[in-house]
Amino acid sequence: MKSLYYCALGIIYKELLRFAKQKSRFFSALVRPLLWLVIFSVGFKAALGLAIIPPYETYITYEVYIVPGLIGMIMLFNGMQSSLTMLFDREMGSMKILLSSHINRNYLLFCKMFATAIVSTIQSITFLVVAYFYGVEMEPLGYILAIPVILVTSIILNAIALFISSIIKQLENFATVMNFVIFPMFFLSSALYPLWKIKDSSIFLYTVSSYNPFTHIIEFIRFTLYLKFEIESFFIIILLLIISLSFAFLGYKSKTTVSKKKS
Amino acid sequence: MSKALKLENLYYKYDKEFVLKNVSFDIDKASFFVLLGLNGAGKSTLFALVTRLLSLQDGNVKVNGFEIKDYKNALKNMGIVFQEPTLDLDLTVKQNLYFYGSLQGLSFKETLKSIDIEIDKIGLREKLDTTVRDLNGGHRRRVEILRALINEPKILLLDEATVGLDVKSRFEIIDYIRDIVVQRGIAVLWITHLFDEVNLDDKAAIIKNGEIIENGIISEIIAKHDKESLSDVFKYLTK
Repeated sequence: MKSLYYCALGIIYKELLRFAKQKSRFFSALVRPLLWLVIFSVGFKAALGLAIIPPYETYITYEVYIVPGLIGMIMLFNGMQSSLTMLFDREMGSMKILLSSHINRNYLLFCKMFATAIVSTIQSITFLVVAYFYGVEMEPLGYILAIPVILVTSIILNAIALFISSIIKQLENFATVMNFVIFPMFFLSSALYPLWKIKDSSIFLYTVSSYNPFTHIIEFIRFTLYLKFEIESFFIIILLLIISLSFAFLGYKSKTTVSKKKS
Repeated sequence: MSKALKLENLYYKYDKEFVLKNVSFDIDKASFFVLLGLNGAGKSTLFALVTRLLSLQDGNVKVNGFEIKDYKNALKNMGIVFQEPTLDLDLTVKQNLYFYGSLQGLSFKETLKSIDIEIDKIGLREKLDTTVRDLNGGHRRRVEILRALINEPKILLLDEATVGLDVKSRFEIIDYIRDIVVQRGIAVLWITHLFDEVNLDDKAAIIKNGEIIENGIISEIIAKHDKESLSDVFKYLTK
């Protein structure tokens, strides 16, 4: 047990060290959602009227609506950044150090995802603080409850990112991931507009969006920030966690026996 | 007595092409063993199987008596230096060592304690707080070797560890490795294609197209083929 503890500590230590040394990464992760909050939402709110939808109990401004989606954006981009780092490590060879340890590989990968989730949580909380001073206030208890929720949902996104990094053969293909995974995942969700708005325009896109794991993650964060709990969402998040971790572990399982036939 | 490393009838193929064919050899405890082969001979695949980066398809690998499938015991006493640089360039030497130590289940204090003597021997004491990016190639390699000793291994595997280094650094490193075989009783698998790193009394295996074509003491292999040097034997066997 002691060795597992030190192992987790070391992986988190390295991730936080890297994060501390890459200050530009922190600021870009913060500036991106702030641009959406301060500029995009100003232009967009005029075009988008919002009805009273759960978890809100009254009419809200678009800035208020968009904040949980922007937390999701931080987590999503951070997960993908981590995936890119893993891919780089794999190409450069340093990933081998992790994979050749005598400690269970799945445990090591989980620690790696957890470490990245801590970084995402720090960034998200910082963003919530900035949003607070911009005028988007939540329930005080909501901020506290959001921390474990952001941590757990970040692990889901990190696991998806890790799985993607396991199937990408070359670093150059990462742009494809941006185009075919990150952007569709973000835009086909309830991050920027409620699902009923999408339903008004396209049933097909509404169906796709409602099955998007990212939608469930954002809604779970949104509900938590407003101290609402939905048992159904909770089980969906647990299910997503199990599925995404399984895929991530499967992706980094060493290549196994295909055939025993000798030439 | 169990061997430090024992490979038995290893086969491995990518798609339909076998890159390892019936590879068998073993390494005694506290001995220096060389695996010689040209690029593409199958050395790196063999290395990946022994370090569990690839899973076995056919055959068996035993490390200090433990099957590689029992990786918790097999890898616990193994130190590894990969061919590619594997240090985090933005971290200091000490931070890199701490990180690796944690992957071996050691605390930061235990990590430095385990290599305290070796830090001086390998000449890295004053470089501990230097960022790896600021080190030259020779020093980076030394850090990787030092790192491989953190878990106090019984066997050390080095895959082309001196490639890209100047002659002085190369021989300093190989002398250091030969020294730890004697001083610490560690078995070493030294994978290379450079003949000048091999001594006449070394045990070695020569691999060609995924097959072991010679296995024994270098001087005896040279005598067996009635050649002047290892280089001549190697050219003759791999032509």
